[in-house]
Amino acid sequence: MTFRVLDPTTEKAPPAGKLAPRLDTLEGKTIGFISNGKEGTKGFFKHLDQMLREEYGVAKVVNRTKSNYSAPADKRIVDEIKGWDAVVSGLGD
Amino acid sequence: MQLASKTYEADSISAVQELYHSSGWTDGLPIVPPTADAVEACLDWAMMPPDQLIGIEPVRGLAITAEKLAINAVMAGCLPMHFPIVVTAWMAMMQDEFLLHGATASTGGCAVLVVLNGPIRLELGASGTFNALGNSDRATAVIGRAVRLCLINLMDVRPGVIDRSTLGHPGKFSYCLAEDEEDSSWLPLAEQRGVPKGASSVTVMAAGAPRQLMNEWTTKPEEILETFAAEMRANLRHYSIHPGNYALVIPKQLREHLQAAGWTKTDIATFIHERARIHRREWADVGKGAVVRDRGDSVYPAMERPDQLLVVAAGGPAGGFGAVIPPWLGNKSHAVTLPIGVCVDCEPPKK
Repeated sequence: MTFRVLDPTTEKAPPAGKLAPRLDTLEGKTIGFISNGKEGTKGFFKHLDQMLREEYGVAKVVNRTKSNYSAPADKRIVDEIKGWDAVVSGLGD
Repeated sequence: MQLASKTYEADSISAVQELYHSSGWTDGLPIVPPTADAVEACLDWAMMPPDQLIGIEPVRGLAITAEKLAINAVMAGCLPMHFPIVVTAWMAMMQDEFLLHGATASTGGCAVLVVLNGPIRLELGASGTFNALGNSDRATAVIGRAVRLCLINLMDVRPGVIDRSTLGHPGKFSYCLAEDEEDSSWLPLAEQRGVPKGASSVTVMAAGAPRQLMNEWTTKPEEILETFAAEMRANLRHYSIHPGNYALVIPKQLREHLQAAGWTKTDIATFIHERARIHRREWADVGKGAVVRDRGDSVYPAMERPDQLLVVAAGGPAGGFGAVIPPWLGNKSHAVTLPIGVCVDCEPPKK
């Protein structure tokens, strides 16, 4: 007996974001950090901040924290992103 | 009826199973083959065309259609009469306040608890008595499973993909119960939450595993409810201090003592709101002293308001047991109640 059965998935990839063009250098750039607010982000981003400035010549690091670590970043944070050259988004688990 | 989904051919029932398992389309258990006939029967029953948009998943913008829900419902074992409940549960889950993506992706590993109210329970044979939180009946088993299969296949809520649960819990196979309205003098949960009397409805809650308790040694409402409150305090200490929707499942033996004393669900919620709270310093008693800091005297209630408590009359007739069902993570997700089949612009599908 042949069964003709149906695909249970959406069959289409979800609308996806696109990666921004990669930077040639971090020298003199502004980098944004978006933390989900969990405890583990504190030490990680502090260290990364120092590394980016001291070893890669990053000019400015902007730290932002989501108001809800289980939801997408707040609009006020997303609106700021266009002013940054790159973003590091981090989990703290 | 024109279905849009891709069709596969399989030579035997075991070939169907292997196709679905190997494609990652199951929860690990065998599925019912979703043939066009079975799927169309669900859509016919609900009077929905296949491309009816049930909602847009809010975070990734995924369109959820009736056809895809029906395919997964058939796979879960649903009959056509079960399908409107699956649709309504999904409509409820896609409300912003439910925070569907967060609740289903979180390391916290909650499941979607579905509570049925109204006359549809009787039509479906959804039992709110023996084994209410387990394998009580066919309807609740397949409806709960359908909700999960839809998550897996329509939102990629697969372990290690979107589902990042550390542990999860057994309710992620199926987590659906019906309220025992016939054997209770209380207002049904849905009516308590604003649905008109007599309307069938679905309540969804992002929920942890049930925590069972027992108190067979009193008839006093305050003492019975103190046991429930203590279990909630334990959750505040051991799991999460965030306030939100908790559900209490109260079976007949304990329920009768409360009802004999004239306690309503509102009275219960008021009492529980007062008693289910802890000081932050208590975290030091359970190994979490590191996060008490200088806020030891702060008081943390389990709910922000009494009406965040969902009281459900359900369970077998004997046994002084009850259950506390804690929220996934406080107020990050809110329980949503929707009536079934309430539609202002319905028309039958075009043949």
